Amino acid sequence: MDGIIESITQFQAQEPAIFALIIGVVGAAIISAVVNVGAMLVIWGERKVLSDFCNRYGPNRVGGRWGILQLGADAIKLFTKEDIIPGDADKGVYVWAPIVASMATMLVAAAIPFGALHIGGKDIPLVVANMDISALYVEAALSLMAIAVFMAGYSSNNKYSILGAFRGMARMIAYEVPMGVCVISVAIMAHSLNLVEIVQSQTIWYAFAQPLGFVIFVIALITDLGRIPFDQSEAEEEIISGYNTEYSGIRWGLLYFQEYNNALLGSILLAILFLGGWQGPIIPIPILDIVSPLIWLLMKVVIILWCMIWVRSSLFRLRIDQVTDLGWKWMLPLSILNLGWAVLIGSYFA
Amino acid sequence: MINASEVLSSIQSAFPGAVLDSRVESDRRLWATIDSEKILDVCKHLSTKLNFDHYSGAAGVDWIARNEMEVVEIMASHGAHQVVAMLKVKTPRENPSVRSLTGLYWNANWYEREIWEMFGINFEGHPEQYPLLLSDELMGAWPWRKDYKGYPDLTTGERAIQITTPEGYMELHVPPTPAEVEAGTVVKERPKYPSFREREEKEIKSDAEMIMHLGPQHAMVPGPFLLDILVEGERVKKAFLDLGYIHKGIEKIMENRSWLQGITYTDRMCYVASLSNNECYCGAVEKILGLEVPLRAQYIRVILEELSRIQSHLIGTGEFLTLVAGVGYAPWQYMIMDREKIISLIESVTGARLTHTFVRFGGVRNDLPEGFAEQCRKVLPFMKSRTEEFIELFAQDPIYSLRMENIGSIAPDTAKRMGCSGRVLRAAGVAYDMRKEDPILVYPDLDFKVVTGTRGDSADRIDVTLREILESIHIIEQCLDKIPSGPIKTEAKIPKKVPAGEAYYRVEDPRGEMGMYVISDGGDKPYRVKVRGPFYATFQTLTPLLEGVYIADAVAIAGSMDGCPSEADR
Repeated sequence: MDGIIESITQFQAQEPAIFALIIGVVGAAIISAVVNVGAMLVIWGERKVLSDFCNRYGPNRVGGRWGILQLGADAIKLFTKEDIIPGDADKGVYVWAPIVASMATMLVAAAIPFGALHIGGKDIPLVVANMDISALYVEAALSLMAIAVFMAGYSSNNKYSILGAFRGMARMIAYEVPMGVCVISVAIMAHSLNLVEIVQSQTIWYAFAQPLGFVIFVIALITDLGRIPFDQSEAEEEIISGYNTEYSGIRWGLLYFQEYNNALLGSILLAILFLGGWQGPIIPIPILDIVSPLIWLLMKVVIILWCMIWVRSSLFRLRIDQVTDLGWKWMLPLSILNLGWAVLIGSYFA
Repeated sequence: MINASEVLSSIQSAFPGAVLDSRVESDRRLWATIDSEKILDVCKHLSTKLNFDHYSGAAGVDWIARNEMEVVEIMASHGAHQVVAMLKVKTPRENPSVRSLTGLYWNANWYEREIWEMFGINFEGHPEQYPLLLSDELMGAWPWRKDYKGYPDLTTGERAIQITTPEGYMELHVPPTPAEVEAGTVVKERPKYPSFREREEKEIKSDAEMIMHLGPQHAMVPGPFLLDILVEGERVKKAFLDLGYIHKGIEKIMENRSWLQGITYTDRMCYVASLSNNECYCGAVEKILGLEVPLRAQYIRVILEELSRIQSHLIGTGEFLTLVAGVGYAPWQYMIMDREKIISLIESVTGARLTHTFVRFGGVRNDLPEGFAEQCRKVLPFMKSRTEEFIELFAQDPIYSLRMENIGSIAPDTAKRMGCSGRVLRAAGVAYDMRKEDPILVYPDLDFKVVTGTRGDSADRIDVTLREILESIHIIEQCLDKIPSGPIKTEAKIPKKVPAGEAYYRVEDPRGEMGMYVISDGGDKPYRVKVRGPFYATFQTLTPLLEGVYIADAVAIAGSMDGCPSEADR
């Protein structure tokens, strides 16, 4: 093991450019696989857990009694369905919207650490692009999804779609600002915008150090992900399916999939920023001790996702004017208050 | 409280000679034929002097043998007294025309439109005499007249042929017969009116406004009806309603079936409330026949109708909650699960889950099965605790009150004037319940309250519905204690031909006041059956409520009315 690591370090010193390229390509392949498989599991999990909340079974035919292959069957169905583009649609924008959505998620995934490996007494973070400003970058890339939603809604040339697109845009603007302020508050406490360093600096979880910021970030995150009670852009009882009404087949599948990709990435982001990321006691068992940071992060992410489904099954959908009201009149002032708190506490402990 | 004969004498003294013919059936029913010239004055007298503030509906009758048509105005009061006045206005069969009551009663609008399109009776002074239930090609055919031949005309043996229109749609086309071509009568004179589309597009004032369809295929609608909203941004400026997507013509079908067969059609009007529909029809026929229902059968009917009310309220509430919260909302699934228990109870008696056809003339089809009371006593306390839990849950939910409170509020006076019924009326604070106003069966012996709300908004409607479930449970528990043993069917022989006569019978449907007006001409089939459905009445108030609200609230208002388009269209 030591020999391999030594030779890798040697190669990195000799050919830094090629080394970075190899890491980039291999990392990109790995994260796209991990994120997409993860999102599939999230969809399956949501269907199962939501069914449980509603006293139903959920998928229980394809792939045994747990219905684990249901998503494979759904994917085959979506891929083989007829691809319909409405005659009056703005074709270029219509076709590109799902692709932009996928790109947005992949951009987020590139900078998010998916955990760490505990080798030789220290944590090696698993991140493809370890940037100095990754927190800000992730925030910005996450809001690209709103652009994709607007593209889809606008280009469909459909009344329901355009209403959904407008709602999505109004919501995004109202909540992206408090969310950004919360990220800044965390960065001030951590003295860094690098997500890896933010995790390493959490001797006490920021959820406890700035509880107000945590609450605001959670609400803003749910809004950003467009989940109940903030799913106005696709409220099916009002505007059919909102921005993706006209989409069908795999184009719809991509848009739908990205929502769950984002849910997964958002949960990881929440765990990293506020819940100590992959921190946790090392499990003193061989092999398990290497992946124990991964296990801790996974556990936190699963709990966050479970809570989101819980919220979905028990809350009503807010009206769009109530959503923007809440965003501008409550979330923004409170997040600025939290920023002040972070500056005070941060400078005291610095 | 005044009774029917006092109402009659009051009319006779105020308008001498206006009452051409009259019959006081009981203290609560007055039948009178009014001079068609004086009907407006009589109605004005009734509404201002005698508290007849509830216009309950109107029925058209085609008396082809007498060569005249009749419009029967059904008038009642919201609690001031219990008299139902059935005022008949006669008009000749050639160019039939009567005065419109829309100036006096706002809600006469839809009832008169229906009579106009079905019978061709013109209403003088009606503001919008447009088709409501029928499609355009049937207009002018007057399908509920007795000499209607069917569409396409089945007497000629011709069938409609399928053609493809220039736009590519498949349509049915009825070719003119050679005789018609020869006589030159192919072009039928159709009444002139703007189409639904033209009417709503006329309202678009600027580029910022657009018409959005909520229905007929939409996640919001509980059945097919078209609700078009004119929106500017997120605001609804005006709403338009079009019915008739599932118009089955049940009233006409029942004229062509035997008396007993008619019961099965009442099931299909609204399948979540089929027992009270059964009751309404059978009660009216029993009234004509003068049948006494044995006490045990009366109790069985009450038990089943209240059970049916509970399950209807549960599905009505649950469905509505999904409109506001999304389909993932867990309490709705719990309501459906609880409803299943009630359905099983009803199924153990009637053998059917939805369309029961259980009530018979002078009794019920079969007795309660062994152990039914024990089963009921097991399920009812559970239902009670569950319902209380739901009430508490909604009372504590802040987002629920944000979305429901002060949404679609109706003031009591407006609710009365618009002729709402059921939960919409009671949520507005008007204690109007047929079980108290026009008691039937053993309801007078039972102790229960009429649940009312205070604000008349969507939250109150849900609250009233849930608290009505508690009252129903209370009623069933009393019935289980009191039910005597004995026969379940009347001893009297029920004739195949019902003697000539007419009756109007009202029951409290889960959705409100349901009335059936049944006429017999002594034959083996009903001469005319008019159904006064509760949702048809409430439905009419939807469009004015939607003006100026947000789109999301439009859904929350429309859903809170516990809609059943199947019953509104009949």
